[in-house]
Amino acid sequence: MRRAPIEAAAWLDSLLGNPGDPANPFSYARCAELDDVDAFPTEICARLDELGVARHYVPARHGGGLTDYETAMQVMRMVARRDITVAVAHGKTYLGGVSVWVGGDAEQAAGLAELIGSGVPVSWGLTERDHGSDLLHGDLVGTATPDGYRLTGEKWLINNATRGGAICVLARTSPAGGPRGFSLFLVDKTRLAAGTYRHLPKVLTHGIRGADISGIEFADAPIGTSALVGAPGTGAETVLKGLQLTRTLCAALSLGGADHALATATRFASERRLYGRRLVDLPAARHTLATAYTDHLMAEALAVVGTRAIHGLTDEMSVLSAAVKYLVPTRVEGLMVMLRKLMGARSLLRDEYEPGGLAKVERDHRIVSLFDGNTLVNLHALVNLFPTLVRAHQRGTSPAAGLAAVTTLTEPLPDWLPERQSLVSRRGSSLLLGLPAVAAEITALAADEPELAPLAALTGRFLTAVGDLHQRLAAVRSTPMDVPKSTFVLAGHLACCLAGAATLHLWLRNRAAFAADSADGVPETAALWRNGIWPQAVLSRVLGAMHDRTCRQTACYPAMFDALASQVSADCLPSLFDCRLAEGRRQPSWSMPC
Amino acid sequence: MPTLDSTTAIAGWLTSRVASYLDTAPDEVDPDQPLADYGLDSVYALSLCGEIEDELNLTVEPTLAWDYPTVNAMAGYLHGELAGRVASQ
Amino acid sequence: MVHAVLTADLESVFGDPFDHANPVGHDAVLAADERSEPLVAGEQALDAWQANAEFVPAELGGRLTTVDALVRRLRPVFRRDAALGLGYGVTSLMAALNVWSGGTDAQRKQLADTLLDGQRVCVAYHELAHGNDVTANEMRAVRRGMSLVLDGRKEVINNAGRADHAVVFARTDERAGGRSHSLLLVDLSELPADRWRRLPRYRTMGLRGCHLGGLEFHGCPAPESALVGDVGAGADIALRSFQVSRCVTAGLGVGVLDAALFTVLRFARGRRLYGRTVAQIPHARSTLAGAFTDLLIADSLSTVAARSIHLLPANGAVYAAATKYLVPLLLEQAMDELAVILGARFYLREGDQAIFGKHFRDLPALSIGHAGGVSCQLTMLPQLPQLARSLDRAAQAPTALFDDSAELPKLALDALRLRSGPTDPVLAGLPDLLTALRRADRTEDTAALAAELLAELAELRYDIAATTPHDLGVLAPPAALALTERYATLLAAAACLGTWRHRRRSGDTAWIRLALHRLLARSRPGVLVQPAELDEALFTELTERAAHGQDFCLDAGRVHRQLVD
Repeated sequence: MRRAPIEAAAWLDSLLGNPGDPANPFSYARCAELDDVDAFPTEICARLDELGVARHYVPARHGGGLTDYETAMQVMRMVARRDITVAVAHGKTYLGGVSVWVGGDAEQAAGLAELIGSGVPVSWGLTERDHGSDLLHGDLVGTATPDGYRLTGEKWLINNATRGGAICVLARTSPAGGPRGFSLFLVDKTRLAAGTYRHLPKVLTHGIRGADISGIEFADAPIGTSALVGAPGTGAETVLKGLQLTRTLCAALSLGGADHALATATRFASERRLYGRRLVDLPAARHTLATAYTDHLMAEALAVVGTRAIHGLTDEMSVLSAAVKYLVPTRVEGLMVMLRKLMGARSLLRDEYEPGGLAKVERDHRIVSLFDGNTLVNLHALVNLFPTLVRAHQRGTSPAAGLAAVTTLTEPLPDWLPERQSLVSRRGSSLLLGLPAVAAEITALAADEPELAPLAALTGRFLTAVGDLHQRLAAVRSTPMDVPKSTFVLAGHLACCLAGAATLHLWLRNRAAFAADSADGVPETAALWRNGIWPQAVLSRVLGAMHDRTCRQTACYPAMFDALASQVSADCLPSLFDCRLAEGRRQPSWSMPC
Repeated sequence: MPTLDSTTAIAGWLTSRVASYLDTAPDEVDPDQPLADYGLDSVYALSLCGEIEDELNLTVEPTLAWDYPTVNAMAGYLHGELAGRVASQ
Repeated sequence: MVHAVLTADLESVFGDPFDHANPVGHDAVLAADERSEPLVAGEQALDAWQANAEFVPAELGGRLTTVDALVRRLRPVFRRDAALGLGYGVTSLMAALNVWSGGTDAQRKQLADTLLDGQRVCVAYHELAHGNDVTANEMRAVRRGMSLVLDGRKEVINNAGRADHAVVFARTDERAGGRSHSLLLVDLSELPADRWRRLPRYRTMGLRGCHLGGLEFHGCPAPESALVGDVGAGADIALRSFQVSRCVTAGLGVGVLDAALFTVLRFARGRRLYGRTVAQIPHARSTLAGAFTDLLIADSLSTVAARSIHLLPANGAVYAAATKYLVPLLLEQAMDELAVILGARFYLREGDQAIFGKHFRDLPALSIGHAGGVSCQLTMLPQLPQLARSLDRAAQAPTALFDDSAELPKLALDALRLRSGPTDPVLAGLPDLLTALRRADRTEDTAALAAELLAELAELRYDIAATTPHDLGVLAPPAALALTERYATLLAAAACLGTWRHRRRSGDTAWIRLALHRLLARSRPGVLVQPAELDEALFTELTERAAHGQDFCLDAGRVHRQLVD
C-alpha cells in the first residue's frame, strides 16, 4: 500500500544517496567528522535547499509546498535518520516561521514565504539566559515608538540565531508582563541598523555539536510596525498555538534517530558472534530488539495520528502536541539505552562499527526532549488539561467528526486552518472518547476471527486501565504551582493512553489496506498488520508502562522481530509502512561542491 | 445550583472555583486581585474556560482569564455576555 | 614500608572543584576532556600521593588492605574525573589482582616494585570481536622451547599505548572450555620490538581522557616465566579477580553520581523559574531526593559486596555480579532524572553545569568498559536456583558485613569461588531485617513495604524454582534474565536494611523507607504510593549535607565544595 507521505520521504532519501557510503557528502562518515569539530553542516544544508526541502516549511496557501503535516514530518525524519544536527539546523526555519503562519497577516506571510523560498534561514527567539522555559518572565523589551517599536535585550540558546537572516522574537511589550504583556516580532536582520544588534557566540553542546546554538542581543533596535505578528499582546497565545504544531513535528527527529539506531543495532546483532552463536540468535538479544522496535512503532503511530490531527482535530492539539512531545522523545531515549547496552563497547567507539557510533545518535537525540518545551513543560501541560479530559470522559462526550479522517490513512485530510486552533481542547481527546467504540468493534471482529482474540483481550484491559486512570485524574487536587511528582507520573500514563488509543484506531481503520503484501516492501511488514500483531505488542508495552505487572504478553514478539530484521536487511525503514531507503538504491547523484 | 444572574453571583461562583484550584479558602481570594498574583499559572488559567462554559452554558475564549485577569473583571464580562444572550432571544 | 604511611586524603589533595584557578578543578577537567587528554595535573597529584600504593597489598609494601577501604580512598578521584581515575590506574589494579592471586613470589615482588615505582600495567583481556565472551578470545600463546609465542590483538585496552607492562589473557589450548586460556605478565620493553606494536588510540564518547589503545603481537616470544599461575588457569584466576574489580568499579561509580548530584542541587538553588527557585518546585525536590536515595542504595550494595569479598568469599561471585549489574543502572537512571532538572543547561559543554554533562558521558563508558550488564546477568542466573532453595536454612550474614567500624579479615583472593553457595546469607537476612524495621518504625507504610517485599521474595523464589536448566545459560529467555534483575533488587534491599540496622545512623528510618520504596517500584511499580514526607526528609538531609561540606555517600565524609547563596 503506497502512501503519499512515505513516497515523498523515500524520494528525498533517494536523492540524498546512501548514507553508508563515505564518499556521499551526506553520509554518516561526513556528519561524524563535522560533529568532531563542532562544525555546521553548511554544504549539506545547501543541498537540502537545492532539493527544495524548505518548501515544506511554507503552507500551500502562502505559495509553499506544505499541504500535509505528516508529509513534512516524514520528510524531516529522513533527514534526521542520517543526522539530527542537519535536521535541527535546517528544519528550524519552520519553527521560525510558524508564528506568522498561525498569527500573522497575509502580507506578512507572503513576505516570509518569499524570504524562506530564497533560502534564508529563519530562527525563533523565545528563551532567555535567566528564564529558560519560563517565557512569561522574559526581559527582552519591545517599546512602542511613533514608527513602530524598539527592541532591547537578549535571546540566548537560540538555534540559528547567528546564521538566520530573520528571527521571530517574543518581546515584553507591557512592563507588567503577564499573558497579554508579550508580542511577537518578525525581525529581518538585513533591515536593522548597524550597531543595534549583535550575535552572541556559539555555545558548545553535548550533541548536535555542529548546530548554530547561539544568541542575539538587541540594543534599541528600531523595527517597523509591520514586524509585529498579530495584535499587540497576542505573543504568548500565538507562541502556544505555534508550539502545538512544532511540538508535534518534533517527532520527526526522534523517529529518524530511532530509525538509525535500530538499523545499526539490528545489523550489528546479526553480524556479531558471541558464545558460538550470532548475537541475534540469543533470545535476550531478540527480545531487546523487538522491545525497542515496539516502542518505535508506538512512537510512529502517535506521531502519524498527531500530525494528521493538525488537519482533522485541529482544536485538540493542546492535548496531542503535549503527548507527542513528551512520549515520543522519551520512548526513543529509552530504546536507545536498550540498544546501547545490546551493542556494548562498540556503541561508545567513534570509529569501530559505524562512524560516530550509536553514541553520536544518542547524544544528538537528547536535544529533542529539551528544546521546544522540555519533558516537564509538556507533562505540566497535560496536568493542566486533566479537568477538561475528566469532564469529557465522565460525560461520554462523543468524538469529533474529524476522528475518522485522521485515523483512516486512505481518507483525504482537510486543510489546516489556523483559526481552528484552540489553546484548550474543550472536547478533551477524541482518540480517548472513541475508544469504547473501537474496543467494541475489535471484540466483534474477534468473534469471527479467532486470531484476534489476544488483541481483543488486551484491548479490554486497556479500556479498563484508561477508565481507572481517568478516576485517578479526577481525584487530583493539586494546586497548579505545586504539582507533586506523582501527578507528573499520571500525566505520563495519560500520554501512554493516547499512544495506545492512536495505535488501536490506526490499526482498526487501516488493517485491510496494509495487511496485503506490497510490491515495494517486505512481506513481514504486511504481517505486522495481520492478526493484530503490532497493536498487541504496543498495548502490552503501554499497559506495562502504566504499571500493569501481570501483562507480560510477548507471544507477538517473534513476528515483531521478524519484521524488524526483514526491514533492515532489505534496506527498508523500520516502520509500520513499507519504505525503501537509499542504502538499497544506486549511488548518490550529487557530489560535494568545491 | 444557584442562579447566576448577577455579576455578584457569578463572582461568588468564580471565587469558589479559583479557590479550589489554588487549594485555599474562598475568602482568601480577593476578587479585585489579578489571579496571577496568587500563583495561578497563566497556562493553567486557560482550563477555567471549560468549567465556565459548562456552568453558564456559554462559549468563551480560553484566554478569558488573560483578558479579564481578576474575578470581578471576569464576572463583569460574563454577566454582559449572558445578558446579551437573553436580550437576543 | 614507606608506602604504608597514610598520606592526606585525596579530597584535600584535589581542593575546591569550583575554584577556576584549581589545576584539578572543573575548568581544568573539562578542558582536558575537550582535548581528549588525561588531566596531567591530576596524574601528577596522584603520583605525588603515590596512588599506585593503593593497588599493592600491605605485605608487599603498599597500602591495599581491604576492598572497601580502597573504594573509599579512591572515590574522590572519580568524584572529580572518572577518566582520571580509570586512566591513571584502576586498570593497573585489575591487572595486578591476577598476579596477587596467581603469581609466584618473584612475580608479585616484581609487580609490586613496578607499581610502587609509579609505573602502569595494562590489562589485556578484551578483543573487539568477542566482547565479554572471554573464553572465545583468539589471541594465542603457543609454547616453543622455553618461550611462549604470542599471536593476535588485544583491543580497547586502557594505557596500552603507554604502559610498559601488561597482563595478557591468551589461548594456550585449542580445545574449548574453561582450561583453554592462560595469563601472562609481560614486560613489553623486553619483547623483540619487531614482533609487537601498540595500536592507535580509540576515540570514545565518554572517558575521553583515557588512553584506550591496543596491543598486537606477531610471533612474539615471551619468556615462560611470564606465565601467571598454571597453563590453563587463566579463566579461573581472571574470574576471581573480576569479583574484586566488579565491586571496585561499581563503588567508584558512586563518586560520579555524588558529584553530579551536587552540581544539580547547586543549580536548583540558584535558578529561578516561575517566580521561585527550582529547588522550591516539588518535582525537583522529589527528583533530588530520589537521586540521593539511589546513591545511598548503590553505596550500600557496593559496600556490602566489597566487604563480602573478605567476610563471605564463597558468595563473592554472585554478590559482585549483582552489584556490577544493578549499581550502574541505578547511577545512570539517577543521572537521567537529574538531567531533566537541568533542562537545557544539561546540554551545554560550557558554564557551571558543563561538568554534569561530562559525568553523564563518562558513566556509561565506565560501566560498559569492564563487564557489561548481560554478562553479569549470565553469571548470576545459573547460581540462583541453589541460593533460592537454601534460603530458609541459610545462616545470616555477620553484622560486620554491614558495620563499617568492624575489622575485616585480610583479603584472600584464593578463598573466592567461581560459583556461589551453598547458601545466600545476605538475602536470607531480609525477613528478619524487615521485622527489625517494623519494630523501629510502626507506620502503616512500613508494614505495607515489608509485606510487599516479602511477597516479592516469595514470588521470586517460586519463579526461580520454575526455571529449567535450559533457561539458565546463554540461551536464557528474557523472563529468566529478568529473574536476575529481581534478585539483585532484593539483594540491594537486604544490603540497605543491613546497613541501616548495623551502621551508626540507624535511628533514622526516612532513607531506608525511601530506599525500599524505590527498590520495590523497580520490581512492582505502582503497588505502593510513596509518602511525600520521605522525599522532604531526604531533600532536607541532602541540603544540610551540602551546606556543611559533607558528601552524599553513607560516610557523609568531608568534601571541598560549597553551596553558593
